[in-house]
Amino acid sequence: MSIFCSSKFRLAVGLVALALIIAGCTASASNQQFFGRAVPPRDNTLHYVSGSEPESLDPQIGTGQPEARIYMALFEGLTEYDPKTMAPIPAIAESWDVNHDSSEFIFHLRKNARWSNGEAITARDFVWSLRRGLSPELAARNAYLAYYVKYAQGYNEGGAFVRNKRTGEFLLAKDFKEDAAGKPEEAHTEPEPMANKNADPAAAAQMPKAAETEFHNFIKAPERLVVPAEEKARTKALAADEKIKKAVDAMGGDAEFVAVKKEDVGIEAVDDFTLRITLTQSAPFFLGLTPHQFFRAVPQKTVEQFDKEWTSPEHIVTCGPFKVETWKPYDKLVVVRDPMYWDAANVKLDRIAFYPGDDNPTIMNMYKAGQVDAVLNHTVPAAWLDVVRPMKDYMDAPEVAIDYYQINCKKPPMNDVRVRKAFNMSIDKEALARWRKIVKPLTAFSPEGIFPGYPQPKGDGFDPAKAKQLLAEAGFKDASGNFDPKKFPVDEVGIVYNTQESNRIVAEFIQAQWKQNLGLTVPLKNMEWKTFLDMRSKVEYKGFARSGWVGDYMDPFTFLNLFYTPAGDNGTGWWDPKYVALLDDANKELDPQKRYEKLAKAEAYLIDAQPVIPLYTAATNWVKKPYVKGMYPNPQTLHAWKFVYIENDPAKWDYGVPDMKE
Amino acid sequence: MLRFIVRRLIITVPMVIIVVSLTWGLIRLAPGNFYTGEKRIPPAIEQNLREKYGLNKPWYVQYGKMLKNTLMLDFGTSLKYEGQSVGSILARSLPVSATLGLLAYLLALVVGVTAGTLAALKQNSRLDYASMALAMLGISLPNFVLGPLLVLIFSLSLFWLPPTRWGGFPSVNLILPVLTLSAVYMAYIARLTRSGMLEVLRADYIRTARAKGLSEREVVLRHALRGGLMPVVSYTGPALAFLIAGTVVVERIFVYPGLGTYFLNACLNRDEPLIIGIVAFISISVLIFNLLVDIAYGFIDPRIRY
Repeated sequence: MSIFCSSKFRLAVGLVALALIIAGCTASASNQQFFGRAVPPRDNTLHYVSGSEPESLDPQIGTGQPEARIYMALFEGLTEYDPKTMAPIPAIAESWDVNHDSSEFIFHLRKNARWSNGEAITARDFVWSLRRGLSPELAARNAYLAYYVKYAQGYNEGGAFVRNKRTGEFLLAKDFKEDAAGKPEEAHTEPEPMANKNADPAAAAQMPKAAETEFHNFIKAPERLVVPAEEKARTKALAADEKIKKAVDAMGGDAEFVAVKKEDVGIEAVDDFTLRITLTQSAPFFLGLTPHQFFRAVPQKTVEQFDKEWTSPEHIVTCGPFKVETWKPYDKLVVVRDPMYWDAANVKLDRIAFYPGDDNPTIMNMYKAGQVDAVLNHTVPAAWLDVVRPMKDYMDAPEVAIDYYQINCKKPPMNDVRVRKAFNMSIDKEALARWRKIVKPLTAFSPEGIFPGYPQPKGDGFDPAKAKQLLAEAGFKDASGNFDPKKFPVDEVGIVYNTQESNRIVAEFIQAQWKQNLGLTVPLKNMEWKTFLDMRSKVEYKGFARSGWVGDYMDPFTFLNLFYTPAGDNGTGWWDPKYVALLDDANKELDPQKRYEKLAKAEAYLIDAQPVIPLYTAATNWVKKPYVKGMYPNPQTLHAWKFVYIENDPAKWDYGVPDMKE
Repeated sequence: MLRFIVRRLIITVPMVIIVVSLTWGLIRLAPGNFYTGEKRIPPAIEQNLREKYGLNKPWYVQYGKMLKNTLMLDFGTSLKYEGQSVGSILARSLPVSATLGLLAYLLALVVGVTAGTLAALKQNSRLDYASMALAMLGISLPNFVLGPLLVLIFSLSLFWLPPTRWGGFPSVNLILPVLTLSAVYMAYIARLTRSGMLEVLRADYIRTARAKGLSEREVVLRHALRGGLMPVVSYTGPALAFLIAGTVVVERIFVYPGLGTYFLNACLNRDEPLIIGIVAFISISVLIFNLLVDIAYGFIDPRIRY
């Protein structure tokens, strides 16, 4: 008897068919406007899937976006993200001043900001919070974001100043910088009140100038040289830098190493409500970093009293629009409106319930069944897009994130820029984007359509003929000078990606493109996530490795910065001092538009060297129920919760993507 | 009997040490660390992290610390979830897994034994074919298929039951996960019971019992079931341990904050203390349940002596 005739088989087929029929009938009967149920919750609570289980409720510990979403309810920083544009808007700081070259900021704090226990929030809280975040003992993974603050890196890395015991003079950084040698030191300028459209200009004008202090005299003086404080590491560092070693040796027995202390970091409470932050370089984008979770305020007393356990629900003290009500890890976190919050009258929701979730189909099921009202980004599986995308609750918008392949530029044949360019040119990115449905094709290295006014350069387009020509020029040619795929060492390249369905299908698409356009079958290899990261960061892969980058702040520099150093997230082996000089030059530019132009020049230089193959600008790709208002598909899918509310009147619901104009 | 139990309990200690040592070695061999992510950490910050968690000490110091912790049954704090001790995570997640597991176990036992016994008593009847066909389906339909299928029908089409999430005990949220989890066990138990019973029903002592003039009911419940359930007991003992210790797949499908969820994520996060803690817990409970099964044999089958 064949298996198809067996009663078991028929039974199984029957069951599956029954399931599909039931599913089909009810789907066609339900409301087609939205995906699943659209019934506003009776209580004023938003149910939201925030992503992976939060590592911690400590904003200086958790590094991901899932945590950021929770921190935005519980903690506030000097500034907050604008719900539509992600630009910094006043939060605990009601206004701020910037000096001439964007290297010093003064924040004027509002006087009515309070912790959830009722105590006032002052500039000293921010000083303490930043120093804590930078302390080597806390080992915060995001500490590098604050390295723009003067001596922050030195303190975090356990560095020391070099002092001559006899003269009391310190070695200065500018004397040892290779490119800066001979350049005149730029004069320090004081911050001036900036036109801040959200603050009352009259009030800003009346702000007294921040007082001159002893600390300020120290911090604005020329930057001191920092070397490792620990002896072994220092010997190694000195051995690597001839110039510094010479200078230290010249001092002989008079050389003294003074550890960089937390008090040396360039942040100062001028008075209770005036905070001064001094940077080590011109960083016009620094303000965009201040809403980041790492820069939010944490409560000194509570942290000191309970140490690591300060975030447990019975101890935690917060400063955001909401405070913790209950927390059951891997189950849910419920936050409730905090009456102590300075703007509590304008907080619209009573509660938010955050649910952890990693599995997209499961998250979508919760959404469809009405268990949750909105979800995080990247949640609609590719196979569901045809159904979900036409719905009026689908949020379609570009993200401050790109997907690209990085190239190992150290190993032949990819160390030849012509070969790199050829591989880039033989991918039809338009077709890739059409096939991926929601993304936008990308030829440059910053996401497209995110930074208004940024003159993004264009990289090479799809041109297989030119690609073959370049490969022939690179030496892979037959007797008549034409490109010959057989001459190309295809075993020396490959595409490696971390195991995930979406990565595999993209890799297969690109493999097919190269097969079709170049006649080369590049092997694919997938790896477990952490194994993959380890290998990629050591630049041990052959050919191409899948990569993606999400911006830390709203500025093209957060992408271009990847290639600022040969180490870190670069991962390609390509590094060029000329590129670094172009970036430095741009960041010294005062006029924002001119700065953008200079950054674009640097980006053009980068894509001309082609250490990467840009693939596409990602899309936020998520859903929210129509009755959830004040929530926008912004480029990072981070929502300032105090603006979010539930609308019971269907006439005022969002039918489609809400208006994103300011 | 007592000597047997004591001996078995003593053996548990070296067994657990071997298991956690192997686990520890495997974690060390796996590339990456709990702090590796898409964004690479600057070396100095990595150094700070290694300092903070004692990762730059020699391997034997770290191994010794892990062994000492295991023997003291205090596994320290999670690396990934700062400030949460492994003990508190176990205490929080075990009840969730245990509730799910116990309910699934009871359901599987009751339905499985009943169906298996009835099938054996009415061998080759329609009832027999139907229940064995269902059992076959239960065995061959993996829970990662069955779970989503049940969700599709009962949550997303009929909107009767919530598709996911832990809702405490008792709650309607338990129905789908318990069904999904118990299906395969139910099916196995039904088949084991049926074959065990068929064998026993042909045995001499059953004929004797019948010859004594006992009622069919008494023959089945008092004499046949005891023997017929032996294979079921040896199967369900360890099964119960695994059920209580959390089931990765079902907990993941239904987003349950149980041991299985923690275990899976601990492995993906390379969260060493948490992995060691859960592995030690699972191995201890498997060893203990095996012991309980061996003891139970003695009660069920008087022929077995220790």
